Amino acid sequence: MLKIKNFSASYGSKKVLRNLNLEIKKSEIIAIVGESGTGKTTLAMSIMGLLTEQFDNTEQSGSILFNGIDICSSTHEELRQIRWKKISMVFQNIDNILNPTISVDKQLNEILNGKKNNSKTNEMLEMVGFPPNRAGSYPHQLSMGEKQKILVAMAYISEPELVLLDEPTSSLDYDTKINLIRVIKKLSPGRTAVLLTHDLDTVKKLSEKVIVLYGGRILESGPTKKIFSNPRHPYTRGLVRSYPSMDRTKDLQGIRGKSEFIDKGCPFWPRCTQAINLCRIYMPPLKKYGDTMLACHRGGIIPLLNVENISKSYNSLEVLKSIYLSIYEGETVTLLGKSGSGKTTLAKIIMGLVKPDGGHIYLENNKIEKWDFGFYKKAQMIFQEVESAVSHRLNVINAVMEPMLIHRNADRRLIEEKAKKVLSEVELPTDNNFLKLYPHHLSGGELQRVVIARALILSPGLLIADEPTSSLDASIQAKIIKMLNRIQEERGLGMLFITHNLGVARKVSDRIIKLEDGIITEARLK
Amino acid sequence: MHISVTRDLKKSKSARAALYIFIVLLLVVIIAPFFIKDPGAFSKTIFSAPSIAHLLGTNDLGQDIFSRLIYGLRTSIFVSISAGLIATSLSVIVGVISGFTGGIVDEIIMRIIDAMLIIPSLVILILISAFIRPNLISLIILIALFRWQGGARIIRGQTIALKQKIHIYSARTFGAKKLYILIRHIIPDLGNIIMASFLQNARSAVFLEAGMAFIGISSLSSISLGTIMHNALEFYYLPVWLWWLLPSGIMLSLVLVSFTLLSNLIEKVVDPRLDDA
Repeated sequence: MLKIKNFSASYGSKKVLRNLNLEIKKSEIIAIVGESGTGKTTLAMSIMGLLTEQFDNTEQSGSILFNGIDICSSTHEELRQIRWKKISMVFQNIDNILNPTISVDKQLNEILNGKKNNSKTNEMLEMVGFPPNRAGSYPHQLSMGEKQKILVAMAYISEPELVLLDEPTSSLDYDTKINLIRVIKKLSPGRTAVLLTHDLDTVKKLSEKVIVLYGGRILESGPTKKIFSNPRHPYTRGLVRSYPSMDRTKDLQGIRGKSEFIDKGCPFWPRCTQAINLCRIYMPPLKKYGDTMLACHRGGIIPLLNVENISKSYNSLEVLKSIYLSIYEGETVTLLGKSGSGKTTLAKIIMGLVKPDGGHIYLENNKIEKWDFGFYKKAQMIFQEVESAVSHRLNVINAVMEPMLIHRNADRRLIEEKAKKVLSEVELPTDNNFLKLYPHHLSGGELQRVVIARALILSPGLLIADEPTSSLDASIQAKIIKMLNRIQEERGLGMLFITHNLGVARKVSDRIIKLEDGIITEARLK
Repeated sequence: MHISVTRDLKKSKSARAALYIFIVLLLVVIIAPFFIKDPGAFSKTIFSAPSIAHLLGTNDLGQDIFSRLIYGLRTSIFVSISAGLIATSLSVIVGVISGFTGGIVDEIIMRIIDAMLIIPSLVILILISAFIRPNLISLIILIALFRWQGGARIIRGQTIALKQKIHIYSARTFGAKKLYILIRHIIPDLGNIIMASFLQNARSAVFLEAGMAFIGISSLSSISLGTIMHNALEFYYLPVWLWWLLPSGIMLSLVLVSFTLLSNLIEKVVDPRLDDA
């Protein structure tokens, strides 16, 4: 019903939409999501044919076919026939849309070509839950929610084929929002709706299909449920993670950086934690993966670590039977288990410190045969015993520089600078007095940070943290956990977080797994 | 665990005294030969009592006992330090390789050490010396060859304990090679034990060298405290022991005491439970 082909739009030199291709079938409700400023409203305006009419200095190319009619090349008169009769829209900024000098019933009648049709108007008002006896009110006499209802009524009263809903619920309280969603659902059968919003809650409740828009391009699209439960694009995951939903226990995490319009390459690369050189050079095409479409050079969020069928026995004691485990980029997986269940053994096997009896480890899909510097640059571990994790002969600066000094891959002065940078990243002072302290001078929390800095200085993608907070008091534990979450957001670290503390597990993890009787099971905590 | 030998040295009076004694002895054997008579030179006066010309008199050949004493002391200290160094280096190399490598290598090395420890080393040492009449260098090597096994066992044990330490695991997860871990972590951490083992070996080297010279199976060309005592005892019927036997005995004791007290300190540092203060 609506086909968008190679559509681009720009405001002056700023390209807002780029080569957009999209097809919307009849009776579908699809959602286009993205942060503010990713081109959602521009797209809606273009579909309404309002873009070039409403704004100066705009350009568009490509085509938007509505039932075969190209909106981009239609004349003003042709568009008038389509607008509000075939395509209607709920505008975003409620206050500016309604005419303050005309009562709402008149504004509704206006859409029906000025014909007074009280029964239809009242029916519509009742439908959206607005008392018809107040239909004579002026906009300033209405609350925000009521105005929004009127706008929805205006969009649906002409029984259009396609309704564009631009942020219909973003400024409403929860109850009003739920009501409105119900209304839209009631009005929707037989109609196509495009929901443009950053409110993921509304998306989940209303739409069947989601399109993720960023920098004027589609990054991912697919069935709503799948996109939310298993986002494949780092941007989509960032959106899901930063949205405060009721069933999410991990602290909110944003997406690093701010949204910009990039001329070359994938629009998301400056903010992406797994960007490679290719991402800067050209935009990845939208490819089909099952029932979702994805535009990412790396095939979506990359699996950092795969553990396959690992087993280990100590003499007759079978500690690990058959372990399967995978960790994705930027994800925290918590491994729960009792003392002695083999958690640390598994961590040591992954790090090549203990030889497994069988099974394989894959890092970024490469089978690990030899644990060499190449491996350790990508994977690091924080050991449980903080007090003995740093040699008593190393002071803070030497301890943090040690990983880089081992490989002498840079000038000592540069290494020292990097060490100081990492130290400030873990929120430790970098003055000379502190740098010269020895481990036994430091508090538990400080030492833990030094240990974390040591693990981070090689810029690993994967961090295995074995009970990193179990020896700390609650307030320091809270700080360390917050810090780890922040570093994860900045660097896109994949973390295997080993703990026996359920509370900690809920606050840090995207996924919780349990090690019991030598096998791993997915744990659900509610 | 943060060990500082200097701090403990400052605290212990006996160890400080031992260190001073050793430094004085060391200075004496370094500086004195520039001022004293040739210990091998003969003179016409034999068995003379101490005088300005001969501070401790002369022996049966008219040689100056004082200069022989200083040269004997020099031999003792030279043998102790070099035999100690060689034996300890062997202990460290064998012990660390054995402990760090583990497995079959460890097994083989340990059995060889066990075998060597079972052999009564003193008897073998005397037998070999009696046959080959070693010179100073070969004596040092011989002593070292029979003294490293005990130290190697201790160092192996410590290495095994150390390689399980978390900071060694950490270094491994930074991609450190074995050599780096050995040189930068394990050997420095073994420092005090190596020191203790060195002092033990040095002490027994002094004792062995003097003992072998005393029973008359060391090289005739070198002047040793043992030889001096051996010679002095031949003239037990003359009243020469006072300036001939006694000073050499005292010198030997001073060397032994300083090594013993210093090694006691190191033992305390390594194992603080020995510290009753």
